[in-house]
Amino acid sequence: MQSDVDAAGKPARQGVIRAPQSFFAGLALIALGLFAIWAISNLPQGTLGAMGPAMLPRWLAIAVALCGAALVVVGLLKEGEPLERWHLRGPVLVAIGIICFAVTIRWFGLAVAGPLALFIGGFGSDETRPKELLIFAILMTAFCVVLFRYLLNQPMPILIIPGTSIYI
Amino acid sequence: MKKLFVLTAAALLAGAAGAQAQAWPSRPITMIVPFAAGGPTDVVARIVGEHMSRTLGQQIVVENVTGAGGTTGITRAKQATPDGYTIAMGHMGTHGAAPALYPNLRYDPAKDFEPIGVAAGTPILIVTKKDFPATSLKEFLDHLKTSGPKLNEANAGVGSVSHTTCTLLQSLTGTKFTRVPYRGTGPALNDLVAGQVDFGCDQIVNLVPQIQAGTIKAIAIATKERSPSLPNVPTTKEGGLPEYEVSAWNAVFAPKDTPKEVTAKLVDALDKSLSDENTRKRLLELGGIIPEGADRGPQALQKLVESEVARWTPVLKAAGVVGQ
Amino acid sequence: MSEIISNLGLGFTVALSLQNLALCFAGCLVGTLVGVLPGVGPIATIAILLPITFGLDPVGALIMLAGIYYGAQYGGSTTAILVNIPGEATSVVTVLDGHQMARQGRAGIALGIAAIGSFFAGTVATVLIAALGVPLTKLALVFGPAEYFSLMVMGLVFAVVLARGSILKAVTMIFIGILLSTIGTDLETGQERMTFGFPPLADGLDFAVLAMGMFGIAEILRNLEHSETREVVKARIGRLLPGLAEMKQSVLPILRGTAIGSTLGILPGNGAVLGPFASYTVEKKVAKDGSRFGRGAIEGVAGPEAANNAGAQTSFIPLLTLGIPPNAVMALMVGAMTIHGIVPGPQVMTKNPNLFWGMIASMWIGNLMLLIINLPLVGLWVKLLQVPYRLMFPSILIFCCIGIYSINSLPSDVVFIAIFGVIGYTFIKFGFEPAPLLLGFVLGKLMEENLRRALIISRGDLMTFLDRPISAALLAVAVLLLIIALLPTIRKGRDEVFVE
Repeated sequence: MQSDVDAAGKPARQGVIRAPQSFFAGLALIALGLFAIWAISNLPQGTLGAMGPAMLPRWLAIAVALCGAALVVVGLLKEGEPLERWHLRGPVLVAIGIICFAVTIRWFGLAVAGPLALFIGGFGSDETRPKELLIFAILMTAFCVVLFRYLLNQPMPILIIPGTSIYI
Repeated sequence: MKKLFVLTAAALLAGAAGAQAQAWPSRPITMIVPFAAGGPTDVVARIVGEHMSRTLGQQIVVENVTGAGGTTGITRAKQATPDGYTIAMGHMGTHGAAPALYPNLRYDPAKDFEPIGVAAGTPILIVTKKDFPATSLKEFLDHLKTSGPKLNEANAGVGSVSHTTCTLLQSLTGTKFTRVPYRGTGPALNDLVAGQVDFGCDQIVNLVPQIQAGTIKAIAIATKERSPSLPNVPTTKEGGLPEYEVSAWNAVFAPKDTPKEVTAKLVDALDKSLSDENTRKRLLELGGIIPEGADRGPQALQKLVESEVARWTPVLKAAGVVGQ
Repeated sequence: MSEIISNLGLGFTVALSLQNLALCFAGCLVGTLVGVLPGVGPIATIAILLPITFGLDPVGALIMLAGIYYGAQYGGSTTAILVNIPGEATSVVTVLDGHQMARQGRAGIALGIAAIGSFFAGTVATVLIAALGVPLTKLALVFGPAEYFSLMVMGLVFAVVLARGSILKAVTMIFIGILLSTIGTDLETGQERMTFGFPPLADGLDFAVLAMGMFGIAEILRNLEHSETREVVKARIGRLLPGLAEMKQSVLPILRGTAIGSTLGILPGNGAVLGPFASYTVEKKVAKDGSRFGRGAIEGVAGPEAANNAGAQTSFIPLLTLGIPPNAVMALMVGAMTIHGIVPGPQVMTKNPNLFWGMIASMWIGNLMLLIINLPLVGLWVKLLQVPYRLMFPSILIFCCIGIYSINSLPSDVVFIAIFGVIGYTFIKFGFEPAPLLLGFVLGKLMEENLRRALIISRGDLMTFLDRPISAALLAVAVLLLIIALLPTIRKGRDEVFVE
């Protein structure tokens, strides 16, 4: 729809925000900086000669917020990259897979946590083949059990069934 | 088909229940060491654990769970199932000073554990840099009184043995000196050798080679008798400050409600390891003090824990030292 | 001179005994294999394998442990190149160009040059230790907190130079990295900073967790969106080992890296961590076309890897001559020595010459073995890269989870790598690079501690950083470097290049 083209051959962006990536990055940084300032607010800063625990974090947070502001300004003034598309499948499934591992490893053991993480996380790719993944998950977990528990002697629970005393 | 399934399940469950009735220990035991691998407590744990493994017939596996001055690992031990397969090596800091240092401490050293026994203690030494203008404890204390604030003391940070023991020195002598924290005894020792700081109070294990080589000076050792590894270093008693008697004791604990048969076996295994010639040799080489007779065993340990908590709490509170 | 030769001779007789040779080999092999596992860095590897050495005599045990150590270092570099996961602070730089080379199908070349560079650096470092071990320790003692602070400031300036794209974004990442390093318990007062009362945070964030999340997991997330391009990359494998042209390109970087790494490795307090970063910065600035860096420049692997290995070897010096461990790995070695009945100290060299010189000789032998073990392995690793990504990335995932969990047995650590993975992915989406953040994290902690320590000792006198000559010199170099780094940007105007 827009036929104007800028020097780089890219369509000139209409609107106030010339470089959305910088702009929103900058906003996020300002938020981060403010959050950190709030998080450290309960501690004493001390003086320059006798620095307290909050001195460095506070000034760093301010620096981060300032950098964020600079990026916002850049985003308004210069041409730059647009916001990249976000893919949700990968991050969400991988994150859930990892969290499942964390939640089950101590209470159910590697034999449960492993396949869970492998199977759920494995779905993060567009090309997953469920049956293949399931078999792979079981085989890989077996390999890890042998490697970490028996070869390397790591104190990691393999299989715990609560209620019974099965604890391998 | 269904009947077969039910029978198999029942058999498995019965087998599992039966497994419980098997004599302890039927699988490796985890000993939680709340400090980094290679440090004094870890070394003592491994030396003692090795012999205990032989007596018990099952491997004792050391698991290092570090953090928050050792309290993370001990909290983990408290929460462990009291079936005898998790024990812990605590020490003077985790079971003596911790209640005073950490207001939000999530365990009670005297109530949440079954004491097994003291393993080995490492005496504390007062050491100074090479060219510190004092050779005896008396001269050192005089220096503290006159130029206290000008002197720099190296320690391994709030919650560490070196910090806690020098706090005691501070309160006993009523002096004030500048405390310089380091991340660990390695860097602290390095700066002491380099002469960037003036003195420190630390466990003997790290210090013997340096003292013998003359890179640092030992002023006094905080025990009743001189140590065989450093026969020329006078005790604090000889030097005129007998109240400064500290040793970083290390002891084995099991979670509360661990069955009596299990703790009895652990007590026995520990006792045997402390009487074993080879184990003793290695512990003594480190400069460790091995408990004998009445100092061994659960009752002695329980008394020790209670007395240590009582001793350190007022000292640390008065010094205003607080971790979180 | 003749004394050194006779000492080395003694060392080689000890190291070349059949038993010690076998132990050295076993250590290198096992160390490499375990170190390759994503999520298991050198410290974790040594801690895991330490019990194996208990039945051995002290010299043998230490030779094996040292072998495990370099093996783990090299295994960590392998992981950095192949899957973008730095196992230790020193591997962060290898990731930058090494992994890019792997994505271009040049993984074999990257691994090969890393092995060769490391071997050369290890040889030189061994000679250095033999000849100059004792005098070099005096250097270590001259560095006080003020000097360390200035060194760290200089290191942070390296991080700015390291940046591939926008300087503003790189500086921001550095600040965030330092900010993250302040989370935890304050060393001086014992008060908790930004932990929100959450116990696992009481000791601050773990480097391994941060690195694994921001590099490993984030990289996986990024790859998951470009499924088509990954197949194309894998098809072009090309030569397995570096050719003559690549070797020629790498000669000078390796020489420079060795010099830099050897010097920095001696400094206690983890000076060795700066070696690879310094080398990368030097190479980037010295190269005719600096923009190649970050896109697969072989100098960016050769130099830092040499610096890495040189630093790893020379960091034994404070341990063997002073008995004071300069970093966490050496502290483990101290523990190992103590368990075996040798308490390290200044007199180990004279009271235990077999041990001292035997270890030094076996260091060189270990380096040689690593070369022999790893060059054939390159073929194996490259084959491994051809596994379809849909199966490879879950494997990397599970190794990361298990690896991280095995460090402290804390499920919260595992959750953190997920969180940092998503955060890292977010950063990449916004055009930020994680490498400066990690460097800021590592150096920030050291910098703040030494800053406050120096100020305590000087009783609040800020001039202490300029009064002390070494400190002043380092700060001057830092300022100079900063100007050199910013000059092109200032001259060309703010023409920022957003990469990827």
